[in-house]
Amino acid sequence: MKWLLNVIEKVRPNFEEGGKLKAFHPVFGALEHFFFAPSTTTVGAPHVRDPLDLKRFMSMVIISVVPCVLAAFYFFGLRFLAMIIVSYAAGLTVEALFSIVRKEDINEGFFVTGILWPLILPPTLPLWMVGLGVAFGVLIGKELFGGTGRNVFNPALVGRCFLALAYPKQMAASFLEPSHDVAGRLLSWVDGSTADAVSSATPLVLAGRDEMVATSHMFLGSVSGSAGETSALLIILGGGFLLLTRVANWRTVLATLASFFALTAVLIACDRLVYESMPGVFGPALWHVFAGGLLFGAFYMATDPVTGPTTNTAKWMYGIIIGSATVLIRNFTGYTEGVTFAILLGNIMAPILDEIVVSIRIRRLRSEG
Amino acid sequence: MRFRGGHNVLLKGRPDSAIKVMPEPKVLYMPLRSERFTFSDILVKDGQKVSGGDILAKDPDNYEVPLLAPRAGTVRLEAVENHIVIEDVAQLEERADIAEEEMLHIEKEMGAGGIKRYKLLSLGAWQFFYDAFTGQLPDPLGTPQAIVVSTLSLEPFLARGDVQLHRRLLNFTRGLEQLQSLLEYQPIYLGMPNIRSEFANLIRNQIRGYAWVKMLEKPLVYPYDDFALLARRLELRSSNGPVWAVRTEGVLAADRALTETKPCTVRILSIGGTGVSQPTHLKAIPGYPIRRIRDQYVFEPSARVLNGGIFTGKILPEETLGIDVECRGITVLPEPEEREFLGFIRPGWDRDSYSSSFLSAMRNDFRERLTTALRGEGRPCVACNYCEEVCPAGIMPYLIHKYLYANLIEEAEQARIDLCVECGLCSYVCPSKIDLRTQFVEAKDLIAKEKEEIRQEQLRQEEARKREEEARKQAEENVE
Repeated sequence: MKWLLNVIEKVRPNFEEGGKLKAFHPVFGALEHFFFAPSTTTVGAPHVRDPLDLKRFMSMVIISVVPCVLAAFYFFGLRFLAMIIVSYAAGLTVEALFSIVRKEDINEGFFVTGILWPLILPPTLPLWMVGLGVAFGVLIGKELFGGTGRNVFNPALVGRCFLALAYPKQMAASFLEPSHDVAGRLLSWVDGSTADAVSSATPLVLAGRDEMVATSHMFLGSVSGSAGETSALLIILGGGFLLLTRVANWRTVLATLASFFALTAVLIACDRLVYESMPGVFGPALWHVFAGGLLFGAFYMATDPVTGPTTNTAKWMYGIIIGSATVLIRNFTGYTEGVTFAILLGNIMAPILDEIVVSIRIRRLRSEG
Repeated sequence: MRFRGGHNVLLKGRPDSAIKVMPEPKVLYMPLRSERFTFSDILVKDGQKVSGGDILAKDPDNYEVPLLAPRAGTVRLEAVENHIVIEDVAQLEERADIAEEEMLHIEKEMGAGGIKRYKLLSLGAWQFFYDAFTGQLPDPLGTPQAIVVSTLSLEPFLARGDVQLHRRLLNFTRGLEQLQSLLEYQPIYLGMPNIRSEFANLIRNQIRGYAWVKMLEKPLVYPYDDFALLARRLELRSSNGPVWAVRTEGVLAADRALTETKPCTVRILSIGGTGVSQPTHLKAIPGYPIRRIRDQYVFEPSARVLNGGIFTGKILPEETLGIDVECRGITVLPEPEEREFLGFIRPGWDRDSYSSSFLSAMRNDFRERLTTALRGEGRPCVACNYCEEVCPAGIMPYLIHKYLYANLIEEAEQARIDLCVECGLCSYVCPSKIDLRTQFVEAKDLIAKEKEEIRQEQLRQEEARKREEEARKQAEENVE
């Protein structure tokens, strides 16, 4: 790859101080460091560093969503590729503009947001809405707070929340029944205008009419829903990988899912929730865990280290808040899906949870040594 | 308190357990500065002939700790800046003893216990002692609440205690007895990796009947050999008086000084790191020319040479020509040669990481060839919490970093930045490549300086008040 390095060295003066394209230095820097590790060395002690950098950290998340991305291609067709491209193009434009204005490097955080974003959208959503949503999410949810590492809210969820409130009809009407062929929709393009596009209700909407989709279908993913959230199996696979690499913290995931399952089971047992077509307590509770975006949210959204709490104790509380808030929103409000709102609520609470844990720990530290 | 955090880096270049004796040098370059000491009080003249064990200089700020001539030779003061050069070095007989007359005088002044302490100090053994809480040189005339002895040296790569102990077990146990004789009833804690090993049993047999030595098991994880951590684990409090801390070499030096009354000038130090052809241990004396060690062991053309280990060592400047009196090891790290192409998506089978984000997480019996590369770009903190997990002191580095970033020194103090042992693990694991250790060291210095200023100010005020009072009294008397 010598030639590429030579090319980079050749064009470098244009982007340096005094060059014609100086304003685009962040873009150049991002490209350079995408291909080649920086040549910086440590200044003082410690003189060696761990190989893990933010690029690796973020690419672990991208690797872990690969099963979900492939499933989205399989169930909903090639259009998903267009959604990814629009998502990256629109989001990166906002990101690059802010980097240029701030004269800072482009951060890796967006590469994760850019792939997670189409996965939480209805599969036939108009592409302009895909672009608008991600631009809104990155701008309002992240850049206004100061960029990666300083944002309070998960940018993808801010975008999703914006779309859900601004265009509720289109959002609800853009769901698609996944292909039941063996070959799936691997080579086909289905959008709102195509004839075989049957806008179909998600399992949670159907449950409102007491039409329960089989749990096994939801486990495998052949149900209607957001592009990446339909297959519980693949999310657990990818999320498990994320937990193994320790990029996502298992405490958040476990607390979210366990509190969700427990609260749902309690509500069913107390007859506050009734599913006539599905008897029992744990059956419907498990069904709820697999339904909608809960698993995807718990594994990929709630575990975002920046917007979640930092201390391990606060992560338990954070997960419990998200899990129980999801149950309450899903069952007792006008919204059939509550994960987006629940996690944003958790994001609001995260700093205060940290504050509580930190103040207790500092009090305990006071008596040390 | 249990041990928490800590991490071992699987790094190539671990010194083997052999001890190579370096050939006798012709010229010695004695640096006047080491980590804790500045020998500013020079006691020899240019051209003076000295013999081994003579005092060349003293550090007036550290209880007059002496800089001893390790060999006989002719002193040159102005030849190299910040060094005392000894030319025509010869291994003549060492100055055998402290003159008897001097001894009697001291005994009269300080008693029998005083002589021992005087010997420790003047024969160069005292510089192996540390105050466990501050890391500074303790007062040789003070009484500690306990002595902590650690045979471990866990930072990669410093001279290991087991190597230094090799075939000197008898000296070691005798040294422990000598240490005990300095105390009244205070305990000695002996930290070892495995207190049921054959080696530990040997020591136990040797010191049978000495109930004052308490053995303490420590896991072989960096930085559990840190004295401050050990003292905290033993629940010793700094308010109850100082805790003396020594490593293997300190016990051996105490034995040599007190049993044989001979100066302690030979050191066993390590030469390790990825830039070294044959990582091993060396037997050398302070002032030994670094160039000769480099010529023999360093093969990398562009390498960073450290005085100390990879986590806390300092870069050895070109101007320093000789080994200083506190050197425990020399570590050589090569500079990165080429920039890796798409490094962040490689599987990483040969990359050792604290996180489990590389395939190498599935194996643990390899050693990576590390360089001085930063291995990433500096980024804002993403609150991944790795630094807190790895921190052996139980503080929250990311929180202190946030406070310091916002210039909230008082909050950083409340978050107990003073408990930081400066092990460097937080900087090592940080995926955003934030230089946490440097920030903390600087902040601690700043806080110490401020506290000192406040103390001085208080003293000044106190004095002014006293003077005022006296003046008033004087005036009253005058009136009467």
